[in-house]
Amino acid sequence: MFLLLLKSFLRSRIAVAGIVIVLLAGITGIFIGQQHIRKQQEAIALTEHFQQEHIQRNAQFFDKELGLLLYYLRFSLVNKLHPLNALSIGQRDVNSSIQSLTIRNLEGQKYDTDLFNPSNLLTGNLDMGFVLIYLLPLLIIAFTYSLLSEEKEDGTWRLVATQSKRPVNVLIRKLFVRMITVLMVFAVLLLLATFILSLPVDKLYLAVICLAFIYMLCWFGISFWVISLQRSSSTNAVILLSIWILLTVVLPGVANNFITSRYPVPESMATVVQQREGYHEKWDMEKQPTVDRFYAHYPQFSKYPLPDKQFSWLWYYAMQQMGDDEAAVQVKQLQEKLRLREQASEYIGYFIPTLHTQQQLNSLAGAGLANQLQFMDSTARFHERMRLYFYPKIFEDEKVKSVDWDMFKVEYFSEEKRVSWGGLLLPLLLVTLVFSVRGWMNFNKRMTAFA
Amino acid sequence: MNISTTKLFAAQIYWNTLKNKALRVLLGIVALLIIYAAFSGALIYQEQTQTRQHYQHEVRTNWEKMPDKHPHRMAHYGYIVFRPKHLLSVFDYGMESFTGNAVFLEAHRQNSANFSEAGFSTGMLRFGEISMSMILQVLVPLVIFFIGFGAIATDRENGTLKMLLSQGATWKEILTGKAIGLLGIAVSVLLFAVVVLLVACLGIAGSQINGDDILRIGTVLLTYTLYFSIICLLTVIISAVSRTAKFSLVILIGIWLTAVVIFPRTAQAIGNFLYHTPSRIAFEAAVEKDLIKKGDSHNPDDPYYKALKDSVLKAYHVQSVDELPFNYGGFQMKEGERLSADIYNQHLAGLLGIYQQQNNVLRLSAIVNPFTALRNLSMAVSGTDFQSYTGFQQQAETYRYALAQHMNDLQIKYISNKKPDDHDHPPSISKAHWKEFPDFAYQRTSLGTVMYHELWSLLALLCWTAGLLLLIKLLSNKLKAI
Repeated sequence: MFLLLLKSFLRSRIAVAGIVIVLLAGITGIFIGQQHIRKQQEAIALTEHFQQEHIQRNAQFFDKELGLLLYYLRFSLVNKLHPLNALSIGQRDVNSSIQSLTIRNLEGQKYDTDLFNPSNLLTGNLDMGFVLIYLLPLLIIAFTYSLLSEEKEDGTWRLVATQSKRPVNVLIRKLFVRMITVLMVFAVLLLLATFILSLPVDKLYLAVICLAFIYMLCWFGISFWVISLQRSSSTNAVILLSIWILLTVVLPGVANNFITSRYPVPESMATVVQQREGYHEKWDMEKQPTVDRFYAHYPQFSKYPLPDKQFSWLWYYAMQQMGDDEAAVQVKQLQEKLRLREQASEYIGYFIPTLHTQQQLNSLAGAGLANQLQFMDSTARFHERMRLYFYPKIFEDEKVKSVDWDMFKVEYFSEEKRVSWGGLLLPLLLVTLVFSVRGWMNFNKRMTAFA
Repeated sequence: MNISTTKLFAAQIYWNTLKNKALRVLLGIVALLIIYAAFSGALIYQEQTQTRQHYQHEVRTNWEKMPDKHPHRMAHYGYIVFRPKHLLSVFDYGMESFTGNAVFLEAHRQNSANFSEAGFSTGMLRFGEISMSMILQVLVPLVIFFIGFGAIATDRENGTLKMLLSQGATWKEILTGKAIGLLGIAVSVLLFAVVVLLVACLGIAGSQINGDDILRIGTVLLTYTLYFSIICLLTVIISAVSRTAKFSLVILIGIWLTAVVIFPRTAQAIGNFLYHTPSRIAFEAAVEKDLIKKGDSHNPDDPYYKALKDSVLKAYHVQSVDELPFNYGGFQMKEGERLSADIYNQHLAGLLGIYQQQNNVLRLSAIVNPFTALRNLSMAVSGTDFQSYTGFQQQAETYRYALAQHMNDLQIKYISNKKPDDHDHPPSISKAHWKEFPDFAYQRTSLGTVMYHELWSLLALLCWTAGLLLLIKLLSNKLKAI
């Protein structure tokens, strides 16, 4: 019976065309993901290469004063890419995975963006995430919208209904056939992705599979409910496509506008203005107060007195430090706002399956805002560590040659990922359940034989 | 073709739609979304514009308030410029959310435009934003498809079509009439949107709205009407050639999905695949390499700067730079700035050229996809397209260069050649000079230039309209009632 249903289903042209389109899009998506990862890795390899060269060349030119050399030297921190990032590019195309910083003030440097073509960002990436979130639901809709109505419109349903004690079981079996087919399509893509992208099969991988599986289930639930309304094929198609648009275009768009206007971030501009003033105004002020505030921040350096000269590196780096110190309030506010944005998005996502799936996929792939915020925190710690390493050497006027420059390799940040299964799957399961139960109730209440 | 019969068909589809409860609800939702989009667009515009103007003003005030100092210090203090939003960004957000909003301009260094909305987004942004343009470009066509898929196919299914034709109505009258009726609905929505847009613009800009803005809104009205004509013609044609209404609906949905969802992404992905862009590090490394090849100002023994020095010393018949009648440090920096800016601009032009090549795949595809054509036109008219963005970047760079060179000139002219001792007061010039340097004033591209850039898209829309009209003419002789 099952095989028969499957065979007859796969004989239809629409089914085959749909499967082929999704498979092609999926394969394209896998290669686009691979291209993204390769480009990032090339950039990281270049960074590793140039850091050594850059340090060596500058150490040769500026071999007299350590303070001057460190004005120029850049040290890089890389936000490691998880192979899953190829499936969901997320925010990794707009936020740079590499931070190259001097020990001068941090706030003037850390927001520097990568080079990108804004048109690419606007149209969006054709990655596996897109195939899963946008295209697979369309495939599900195409497979199911006329599941019952078509038989009624062709007059075959009466025959089917009289042959079975519970006609709804026939329907569920038909639905099951389509579910298996869609899952197989996704499984094929996932298998290809696993090999082509050499994805590690671990807990995160399992989480992605579960997420994708339940997301698709969710759409079958929605479809089942629409079928249970027992309208004509055309009406079903209109309703299902409207739901699709609501979930992929309208609701996420409304939510995005809401977040943007509810949590605006003028603090970003305040930060850039403030850090610049905080540093530059010190050039025209008495030196001692600046240095005193520097001592207050780092008591361990108060043993280095301000040299009696027009210019000294102690004073210079104290001024730089003041840029960061005076923007600290705005920086904190900015981070707070971004965390609020992240949190609000997560809550809103609980009610919008598409949004939830995308956000969870991004966070599993280390490509969301949360990852970026952690990378920023890690950047700040990295910068502070470099500062504290070099400050005493600069203040003691150590020789450039006394530092072992080979020691400064590119460093890496990798996010510690935990999977909270409940938060990952429950919202989707709930939506699936609600729609399936409503659908079931509709069928129990009324099952008509005619269109 | 009988005009009154055509009118009759148009009126029939128009009023039947408004009488249908489900369709009224659908149109009501669209209207509400338009209001929401206008409201949130205006809110975002206002919030962003106020913030940017506030800080732009603060930057200027601080600049003018700077005390007497060495001009090179001023060159490093630099300037921050903020990208002003176009009033019509209320209508079409375009690339606004993905482009940087503030650039720090300083001597020797071209910084990136930072703080884009996308950089601070949770990724939600990638689903797209609700803007009036999005509703009109994406949702309204689908609503038209939903309304019109059965315009002829249903009549065919229930036999009405046969009756109509036997009573003397011609195919041409039926097709044209129904298309006009659908267009009437679409244009009603469009007019509603334009009124809402005008109210929103008046609300935020008041009397500051100028003739250019009105002209742009007029262009929006015209181009969108053209787009909707294509949509409506397409709807009746598909409905006329389909055997059943269901089939017509499936085809129309397929067309919509291909044109709106799949095609643009694929075209852009192809562009991306064909033309590789360098990463930031590779780009900067290439600039640095060229610069070092030309002359490395950090290298005390660099042959280029050595030759420069020798030639200056020779021209002035002096032995050392201290004896020159002007500040040599400033002179050398001026030369360095010229070199580095030249090389940087060459590389940037190369990069923008690659971006343009990537975008061209999508741009050219407008001829087969009217959705892309309208999207490009709409963004361009709203000042939120790629050209507007690069225009801003270039103006910012021009300003940066002028600032750096102005400070170098001041140094050459007013700063002594004698190096100060450790205990001397550092050399400085009067703060009066800061005010002399004008504020950054962003020049918008004129509507004429914008339309010239988008001629291809306009042509695509015109071709489509003409093509479909021709198709209706051809089909009129071939279609059958059953």
